[in-house]
Amino acid sequence: MKRRDFMISAGAVAAGSVLLPKMAFADPNRIDWYTSSDQNVIDFWTNIIKPKFEAANPGATLNLVDAGDGAGLQAIEARAVAALASKADPQADFFEGSDARLPPGALDAGLYVDFSKENLSNYSKLNPLAADIPQNITYRGSQVLLAFDTTKLPADKAPKTFADLVAWIKANPGQFIYNRPDKGGSGGNFVVRAIWEANGRDPSMFKVDNYKGADSDPMLMKGYDILKDIAPALMDQGAYTSGNTQSIQLLSQGAVTMIPAWSDQTLSAIKQGVLPETTGLVQLTDLALAGGFTKNTVPVNGVNKALALKLQDFILTEEIQSAVITELGGFPGVSWDYVSKELHDKYASVIPATIPTWPGGDWDKNMKDGWYRNVAPNVDRTK
Amino acid sequence: MSLAPASDIVGTKKQGRGLIGLLLVAIPVILVAWMVIYPILSAVVTTVWQKDASGVPGFTLKTYQFFFSDAYSLANLWVTLWTTLLCAIILLIVCLPIALYLRFAKGRLAAYVQGLAIFPLFVPSIILSYAFIRVLGPNGMVDILLNAVHLPKIRSPYLTPWGPLIGLVWDHIPLTVLILLAGLGAVSDASIEAARDVGAGRLRVLWNIILPRLGNSILVAVSFSVLGIFSAFTLPYVLGPAAPEMMGPFMQRTFRDLYDAPNAITQAVISFFFCIVFGLFYVRSVVKNQRGRG
Repeated sequence: MKRRDFMISAGAVAAGSVLLPKMAFADPNRIDWYTSSDQNVIDFWTNIIKPKFEAANPGATLNLVDAGDGAGLQAIEARAVAALASKADPQADFFEGSDARLPPGALDAGLYVDFSKENLSNYSKLNPLAADIPQNITYRGSQVLLAFDTTKLPADKAPKTFADLVAWIKANPGQFIYNRPDKGGSGGNFVVRAIWEANGRDPSMFKVDNYKGADSDPMLMKGYDILKDIAPALMDQGAYTSGNTQSIQLLSQGAVTMIPAWSDQTLSAIKQGVLPETTGLVQLTDLALAGGFTKNTVPVNGVNKALALKLQDFILTEEIQSAVITELGGFPGVSWDYVSKELHDKYASVIPATIPTWPGGDWDKNMKDGWYRNVAPNVDRTK
Repeated sequence: MSLAPASDIVGTKKQGRGLIGLLLVAIPVILVAWMVIYPILSAVVTTVWQKDASGVPGFTLKTYQFFFSDAYSLANLWVTLWTTLLCAIILLIVCLPIALYLRFAKGRLAAYVQGLAIFPLFVPSIILSYAFIRVLGPNGMVDILLNAVHLPKIRSPYLTPWGPLIGLVWDHIPLTVLILLAGLGAVSDASIEAARDVGAGRLRVLWNIILPRLGNSILVAVSFSVLGIFSAFTLPYVLGPAAPEMMGPFMQRTFRDLYDAPNAITQAVISFFFCIVFGLFYVRSVVKNQRGRG
């Protein structure tokens, strides 16, 4: 072959291999798992669930992917909806920290598996507090609490009601901070708690489908008024961190005395030594800060749907549910009767009778944007 | 096998050379047209051609009207411009002396200074953000050191507009120093020595010999850092205040939290308009340079 011919044919092969569309298919027996949760949850899956599940199911593997946040996960779910319509491969089998009501239209399109019809062996053990539409299923819960430094505020003097908390914040300027509501649930649910406080402490007034634009905004505004009122007494006369982790960092540096924080994240932080042993936790008794059970969904068109259902059943076993409490610092997704008696007795005092929740969708979206427009800008740094 | 045909690849005739030259630039030009020009045109069209209340598509400027009548959006644009311009000025003040030092100093110390000046290039901005909180944040390392010598704490720049400003300046030092240093390479030792021979002092050498040759590099360095800072995301997101937001985090929030694509794209087009002004400065200086050479 002449050198020139060789160059041309080699070039053509190289160009062809680059220009051919790259095809990607989901592997059989590999569960493509996506989450909207924080790093501590991904660590829990990587270190506890993945090895145990793969050992119990030879040949199966778990591909753990961080979708970033709720919006990131919805983008993957929207892809699955599109794949359902075109009968293509969604390349996704399991969504952790999902909600079957989102993205809008996915439920009507029939994207998600109805777990009540799938004969999961542990389905009957689920905590009744976690009851939701049958396309959502849980395995862990957590709640926003107030975390505080007991060396500066003795545990018996910690505020027990929202009114006490507001009084404490004003009496101790600069010692409280919460994060921006869209950047993490600890600050978000603190904002939600203020909105509930301003609307008669009745979480049932806020449902996923009853946001009515201009008629509903005054309800949010009443909550913002409380937040604007306390803003000058926050750290730096109204600073807001950009995430759950940054709030914990400020508490650990002793820059503030109290923050709202996720129970599981705080317990992990204490266990890892990020927060000192002297960190106190308290829940408001007049109405708890919001929390909830993390929901999982499984798309009907995933290549490994059967295996994904097996995984969901697996994480409801006593072994994993006990690990949720001991390793993750969360609440079990099953009733407390189905975890070991030793754990049940140890945590008896913090087992919640109710966990108030805040709806996703329009209320959530407008709560966050309204906060940016009404609460965040009113910072007077001249004082 | 003879060697003669191989030379045809580079072209022996003048006409063929032009064609091959065009082919060589075709790939970047197509890529720019497809990945940059087309999305920009598509973004502009999406924002001015929208459905009205009754669902009929037509020409409209409503998202632009909203942006420029909305005090919150304007405050975000203003803080972005403030941060960008102040950053550019501080960068020049910080980097020009470093570049001058590196141009004229020799020896081991200069090598260490150069290494230190280039170091930020290798630090991801998310790592920088958390290090910043540790060092300059409340009760951070600076506060601990001040406390050790019985001085009062600093007013921490964390979560104020000064937070991202300090971070962005640090982050952009390497690029600015490198561009200025390249520009200083054009100043010959001979011309400086000639000026010294006729009795010019250090300031006069800087002002009359070095700066006139450096004007172009300063313009390029400023355009580059301005383009980077205007669209910065991580540092303003982690270190900045909740409000006003810089355009990067604002666009991201509008798009992903509010699912409001038309307004997010409008913000992008407006940001693009401001960036293009600085981009034109850069292009103009490159063209001027090439004409000078040609």
